[in-house]
Amino acid sequence: MLSPERLSLPGPEYLAQRHVLTYMEDAVSQLLENREDISQYGIARFFTEYFNSVRQGTHILFREFSFIQATPHNRASFLRTFWRCFRAVGKNGDLLTAKEYHCLLQLLCPDFPVELTQKAARIVLMDDAMDCLMSFSDFLFAFQIQFYYSEFLESAAAIYQDLLTGKNPNTVIVPTSSSGQHRSRQAPSECSPLDGVEASLFYHCLESLCDRSKYSCPPSALVKEVLSSVQRLTFYGFLMALAKHHGINRALGALPDKGDLLLDPPMDQELEKLLSQVSGLSISTPAGSSGDIANLPTRTSPRISSPWKPLHHRQKVDTESDGSTDETESSEN
Amino acid sequence: MATCEKRRSAPAPATGSGLVEPVRAGVGGREPESEAEFLLQAGVTSMVREALLKVLEARPEEPVSFLASYFEKLVLSGAAGDRHGQQQRLARALWYVRLAHHSHRTAFNNNVSMAYECLSARGRRKKPGVNGKIYSELLKKICQDGEVPEEVVSSLLRKIQCRDHEAVPFDVFRYGVLSCFVLLEFVAKADTLYDVLDDGSGVADKRVCQAVLGTLEDALGASDFSVPIRYLEAGSKLGPDCLALAMDKALLERKICSSMNREEFLTKATALFIAKVKPID
Repeated sequence: MLSPERLSLPGPEYLAQRHVLTYMEDAVSQLLENREDISQYGIARFFTEYFNSVRQGTHILFREFSFIQATPHNRASFLRTFWRCFRAVGKNGDLLTAKEYHCLLQLLCPDFPVELTQKAARIVLMDDAMDCLMSFSDFLFAFQIQFYYSEFLESAAAIYQDLLTGKNPNTVIVPTSSSGQHRSRQAPSECSPLDGVEASLFYHCLESLCDRSKYSCPPSALVKEVLSSVQRLTFYGFLMALAKHHGINRALGALPDKGDLLLDPPMDQELEKLLSQVSGLSISTPAGSSGDIANLPTRTSPRISSPWKPLHHRQKVDTESDGSTDETESSEN
Repeated sequence: MATCEKRRSAPAPATGSGLVEPVRAGVGGREPESEAEFLLQAGVTSMVREALLKVLEARPEEPVSFLASYFEKLVLSGAAGDRHGQQQRLARALWYVRLAHHSHRTAFNNNVSMAYECLSARGRRKKPGVNGKIYSELLKKICQDGEVPEEVVSSLLRKIQCRDHEAVPFDVFRYGVLSCFVLLEFVAKADTLYDVLDDGSGVADKRVCQAVLGTLEDALGASDFSVPIRYLEAGSKLGPDCLALAMDKALLERKICSSMNREEFLTKATALFIAKVKPID
């Protein structure tokens, strides 16, 4: 119950480590934005709802990107929300392009940067063929790694680049400017898939990176597992392996295992209900009508009127009666 | 939450900029003075400050959940402010005393005094004070938390209870509340101790149990704990060498497999604890 480390930290450090101030400051600025409603609502109630929604992970809905990526909890909440909102895409087996996935992301976060989506797509596609189609789960798991471990991957890319060019990677400076990110992420994709860097050396550099980093890193035991299975690897090979690793997905804790990704019992029930309603209705019509329509002359079909599409049928009746009068007219002529 | 669903055009406030200052926490740009004023006048500033102090005192593992329930309680106490029903005051007091672990002594003491104040605030005409009845009720509620057997609780309460109409001074109140929390922890520890003794089989050897209880009694027994050296002495008696020796001896002596179940072990262990609780006069 007691973790002494937490209790011995100085106050400000404890608050920073748990991102208490991030949320408190955000709560206050949200309150200021809605101050007209506060008088009838109550300040304590406002704070209660704010922190409850943070706890449930619904606080990131439709918020700006800078807030969504501000804490690991926010990132995990966003991933979970994205998965929940759009798993129907995966269920249908639809394949989408990076651009289309980006549109989905923008539905939840209007200023979501397109670079992040492209980077995630590059993990799936392993090259720059950016208009290729991807399955929902492939994209989601790659996106998860790219989004949640964004800073870690930037530094890892710089380390990889230095290893490739034979520089001493320990002097790597964590890239901060966007130009640095651009350079470090472009270069690895240019190298041919045959070369790459030595896995064990790469691991040692990443291990020390994780020790120093103040950002979230994947558990180093799991990184080791990924890297110990091969001799050499390319950067995108590494990213792909991270994205597909079940343990890393579990450690991150935002999404279920790949097998359970599309399971959604309440939604299924709802669909089942709808389907049974629809099929219950269509049984009465197709059993009567569709067979009849095929066999009987079209003129008799309006008589098997189904009650739930009166408009449609009435139109049909009209056109057919028109047709029949034409016919009769023509026959008369 | 409707407020969150609004899209924000303003930039997010800088994070990690030291303790919250409403002026800085406000959305940058438009009329910072009036925003600060608004926060001060509406009582947001003091509410936030108090909440953060509570977080810092208690250092909860999950501060977001802590804050959610903290503010929820504030709402409830505000809504119940007119009626001041006894049950609500009791629930509020219970919430206060559970906010921080008792090993975090300053925070715990603060919270206990908040609980005391909360219970003693009654109608405007009556004198403030906590009577024995509500005090006992609070103690019972605290003890309901753990897996503590009924008779253990009542034997503890017999020692620290006051009469229903008696006024309970703060010292006694604090002592009683603290005793209950320590009991809860003691029972939990004894429970895990039994887990070790039964080795997952569900029943533990009676002799070994008795040897452990004997050592425990020996360590707790004898003189009073006002002398600091007694703590060291008790600690050394429960050290691995002493305890292991006793257990080893007991294992060698055992003949027919007689066993002691968990309940019996817990009752005996807590009896040792309760024997050491000083009764209040």
